[in-house]
This record gives sequence, C-alpha cells and structure tokens, in this order.
Amino acid sequence: MAFEKIHTEKMVLHYGSKMALNDITISIPEKKVTAFIGPSGCGKSTFLRSLNRMNDLIEGVTIEGKILIDNINIYDKNIDVVTLRKKVGMVFQKSNPFAKSIYENVAYGPRINGVNDKKQLDEIVENALQNAAIWEEVKDRLGDSAMGLSGGQQQRLCIARTLAVNPEIVLMDEPASALDPLSTSKIEELIVELKEKYTIVIVTHNMQQAARISDLTAFFYLGQLIEFDKTKKIFTNPEKKQTEDYITGRFG
Amino acid sequence: MESNRIFDLELKKLSEKVVKMCSQVNKQVNDALIALNQYDIELAKKVINNDHEINSLDVKIDKLCQNIFALQHPVARDLRYILSALKINNDLERVGDHAVNIAKRIAPLEDYRQLVSDLGVDKVTKETSILFADVLSLVETHDLNFCKKIYQRSATLKEDCKSIAEQILNEMMNKSEVVVVASNILIIVNLIERIAGYSNNMAESITFVVEGEIVKHKKKLG
Repeated sequence: MAFEKIHTEKMVLHYGSKMALNDITISIPEKKVTAFIGPSGCGKSTFLRSLNRMNDLIEGVTIEGKILIDNINIYDKNIDVVTLRKKVGMVFQKSNPFAKSIYENVAYGPRINGVNDKKQLDEIVENALQNAAIWEEVKDRLGDSAMGLSGGQQQRLCIARTLAVNPEIVLMDEPASALDPLSTSKIEELIVELKEKYTIVIVTHNMQQAARISDLTAFFYLGQLIEFDKTKKIFTNPEKKQTEDYITGRFG
Repeated sequence: MESNRIFDLELKKLSEKVVKMCSQVNKQVNDALIALNQYDIELAKKVINNDHEINSLDVKIDKLCQNIFALQHPVARDLRYILSALKINNDLERVGDHAVNIAKRIAPLEDYRQLVSDLGVDKVTKETSILFADVLSLVETHDLNFCKKIYQRSATLKEDCKSIAEQILNEMMNKSEVVVVASNILIIVNLIERIAGYSNNMAESITFVVEGEIVKHKKKLG
C-alpha cells in the first residue's frame, strides 16, 4: 500500500460563520498525482490551501479536525509555517514571477534560506530549471527579466522556483487554465514527470486534464468530499451518481 | 425534463439506431426461419434483398459512435454505452449475415422438407425466435432480468443444435444420397448456433453498460 503522505481527518473549515468544508477525511499517497475536481465554490481550492496553511493569511478562517503531513499535524502550535511552505510548495493559476531576472527568481528561495555560495546557487538554479523542463529555453539568458517570458514559460519558471527549495509536496491550483493548449500540454507532461520525485495535488476545472494526468481523483461538492478513488475508476464507473452526473456534464 | 444538450441528443440518436438495428435483424432472423420451416422461397429472397438496409445502418452507427468519441469525450456510463453500442452493432450485423446465409440455403431443400422436419429443425428455429425476442427486449430496456433468460435459452439452443448435428452426421453416414443436402442443413444449424453465441455477447455488453463489469469469459449459469 502506498505511503499516506497527507492525511486529513474530519476537517472542517469556516470563513467566519460560513462553513466551507465539512468533515473532509482523505489520505493522499506520496509520489502520485491527486486531482481535486468539482463545480465552482465546492471548496476544492480552499482545501488545497489548507494543506500548506495558506488560509492562515485570510482573516476569519477557522479550522477543526486534523491535517497530517508525514503523520505530523501541521496545525500544531509548534509548527513553523515558513518551513512548512518550503516542504509544501504551491503554484497558482496566474503565474506570478518576481520582477527580477530568471536566475534571481529561482535563486530567491535558496538565498533567503541561507545559501550564499555562488557555485551552489548556480547548481540549484540549473537543477530546478531542468526539473521544470525550461532549462534549454532559458539557459543562455538567465540574466533576462522573467517578465519577458511567455505565459507558459513563466508558469514553468514558477514551478522551478517552487522546486528550488526542495519541497516534498507541490500543490497546484489550476496551473494551466490561463495557458494555450501547447503550453498546457507541456505543463501536463511536466506534472507527470514530477511525480517521480514529488507528491502532486492539483485542482482543475478541466476534467479531461484530471483524467489524463492524475492517478487519483477527489470529487468535491458543496464543501463535502463526495468520492475519492483511482482516476480510472472515477471516469469509467464511479460509485456515486453525483460524481457520474458531474463528470458527464449533467450538472456543475 | 428532457435534456437538450447536444451530447444527450446524440446519445438518444445512437440508442434509437441501435434499437432499430436490433429490431430489423430480429425480423430478418424470424423471416429466414419462417422461410426455412415453410419452404417459402419468396420470403427467403426478401431476407436476402433486405440485407443492404442492415449494412447501411451498421455504417451509420459506427460513424455516430466515432463522432461522439471525437467530439464529446464520453466518460463513465456514457463511455460504456458507446463502447457497447459498437460491439452490439457488430454482433447484430453478423447475425444479419447469418440470417441471409440461412435464406440462401433454403432453395436446395425443396425435395428434402421431410428430412428437415424429421431432424427437428423447427424446434431450434422456434427457440431461436424466442431467444432473439429476449435480446431485442434487453437492448430496448437494458433490463438485466433478460440476461439470465438469454443465457439459459442460448445454452439449451446450443445443446439442441449439437444434438441435431449428430443426427445429421448419422444420416450422412447411412445414406450417401443425402450427403449434399445434409451438409447444407448442417451449415444452417451451425448458423443458428452462432446466433445463440452472438445473443450471449449482447447480453454481456448490456451488463457492462449497466453494471460497469466485464462479464465475458465468466461462467453465467450453474
């Protein structure tokens, strides 16, 4: 049985008095791609952000239940969120490179973590850009501004930036939804490669994308986890009628 | 409320065509078997001439399935239905061909109608009609209660065909003058047995649609 990298138990989240997530219990295995699908407002992005405590930045959010990563509750008082967010990196829908050079974008994370040796930084930057499948496109212009890259390249740069601090888990919130089909295809190929080394959790509205690249799929609806299973099962013979109605486009 | 989604309309169109195909093949089979039992050459010719309608519908169903796959990205039950529609379409086309082949073999039996009757061929033709009526009901309704009946009738039919085949071989060994016509009857009986096989296939396909389980190659009875 695959190791449970992430495990939540009866997790409940409120935005003020409004319940956004209700009784979420799920085990996400390591080094697989797990996709979260569901209609807008179902809570999938909220749940994703809970996995590295990005919801701490939103006023009025309260969480009950457990969220364990490697069997440690990440909401324990003694958890350092900065260290947590190194371990559990995040890539967003809209790429957000810093207004710096390509090199500096990737080196930024290691630098603030105390890496100052130039040779070491060069190696980290190259490895990260290689792992993000963008090295060949940028290796001769690392000093150029990241803002001059295309949308797809910027997104891969953001992935490289996340990888540069050696995460174990990479969360992706609709990473390709703002990209053209060719760039989307490159991101999808990259995600399938990345799962060799990292645990990937991806939120997507594109069900064909979830079907193409994920090993497991979780279907959320109105803040609840309706069904979670191997992607093949979800897309060929789901257990719940709600799941079938959603993936066949009959609602949502 | 009926859906007006393009996908649902396409699925409805496909379903109607598959049911139509099954209904037309059912008629072909029944007409071929009536022609055999009653030595009705005109009816046999009608079966042969109507085959082009079956073939035309076969092509339309294949094209419709191809379009749905390409344009609609079906999943789950929809996907299973379309995959099964392709298989059922193929099986029905083959059954249609068998009905035509039976019809083509009736004319040489003119002087041997008593032999055909003595061999008990009318028993298996009646069983085939009832079996295929169940297949049509199953394809129309997707009611899996028909599956068990189909498996049971098919098993009985195959046994009866085997028994007739043995009798035919005995006739051939004992009376050399009937070898040619007996061979013809043997082929007809084999074609009827094949129709039983395709009936089983279609029951398996509908089970796959409804339950999501692949049951082919699994024991069905006992």
